[in-house]
Amino acid sequence: MNTRDLVLIALFAAIVVVLGLIPPITLGFIPVPITAQSMGVMLAGCIIGAKRGALAFLLFILLVAIGLPVLSGGRGGLAVFAGPSGGFILGWAVAAFVTGLIAERFVHQGNSEGRQFVGFFLASVIGGIVVLYAIGVPWLSAVTGTPLTAAATGSLVFIPGDLLKAAIATLAARAVYAGYPLLPARA
Amino acid sequence: MLTSLYVEGQSWFHRVPVRLKLIALLILSVALFTTNAPFLLLPAFLLCGALYLSLGMTARQAFSRVGFVLFTILVLAAVNLFLVPFPDVVALVLRLAALVLFAAAVTTTTTIGAFMDEITILLKPLERLGLLRAADVSLALGLVLRFVPDIFARYQAISEAHRARGLPIRPLTIIGPLIILTLKDADTIAAAIDARGFRRQ
Repeated sequence: MNTRDLVLIALFAAIVVVLGLIPPITLGFIPVPITAQSMGVMLAGCIIGAKRGALAFLLFILLVAIGLPVLSGGRGGLAVFAGPSGGFILGWAVAAFVTGLIAERFVHQGNSEGRQFVGFFLASVIGGIVVLYAIGVPWLSAVTGTPLTAAATGSLVFIPGDLLKAAIATLAARAVYAGYPLLPARA
Repeated sequence: MLTSLYVEGQSWFHRVPVRLKLIALLILSVALFTTNAPFLLLPAFLLCGALYLSLGMTARQAFSRVGFVLFTILVLAAVNLFLVPFPDVVALVLRLAALVLFAAAVTTTTTIGAFMDEITILLKPLERLGLLRAADVSLALGLVLRFVPDIFARYQAISEAHRARGLPIRPLTIIGPLIILTLKDADTIAAAIDARGFRRQ
């Protein structure tokens, strides 16, 4: 790994920390407030790619674990891993990796703008929603004893908000890709 | 801006070595899941709670650190009341609350430096395999702590620019410029690191 990659990873982890400091937005039609930080997974994968995105999130998880209040709302410490949603936090690194893999595969410089949007949106939805829930929900079910089907049905409440996040992440990622492309290409 | 959740204190738990605390947390998290018996889980919960409260924090401070996680546990317990038998719900609340309190106690009594020493040791096998360098992890961590205030200042500058132009402050119009401006610094920072020979390349 060269120094530039190391710096990009650290800077992205720092961006995710800052996204946690931005006040969450509440929308009338979605029951849960949207924190900018939870878009970080999609942004990391789509902007700096699979490997660096995943490493940025491993670094971020390390920050949480050593007791820095970097999660939105000033939370942090080992307690969040012991809580019911620990799986979602650990799942971020995998989710960022999968998002990056898909983005690297489907988005290329020569593509039309529309195709780039589709590529980033697919990557955000599959990596940032499907993969993340595939890790977080069974974890929650195992830790709390809530039956898996009930836990899965319950998390459907968050899906509209997540789709909206994927849309915002797509637009932001495409803007960065146009202005300062960093995503490695993958055949 | 980023102050650690460590709280200075003189309690006996502050003096326990980090490694022992982490191993204890690991053992506790496995052990508590093997039992459903309230006569084992209740004392565990009470002990962890007493330990957490004995660390020299005010009650308010102590609660604000774990309140959110405890709240999620209670919400899930309320849902569980309709789905699983009552004794199981009690066991789940006691078990998770005990774990969360113990984990919070470890976080409260361990400095970042102590954690980093342990992490460096844990990374040694990976370093031997040539997968990464422990020094790089510390360097990356230092970079994050160094640049969070800068990036936050940049976020505020972009918000100000929005306000000056009468634009609503939306994440969409902020995230793009924030990320581009931040990542554009990467080359300069990397050059500065290499020029000082921090990574001995």
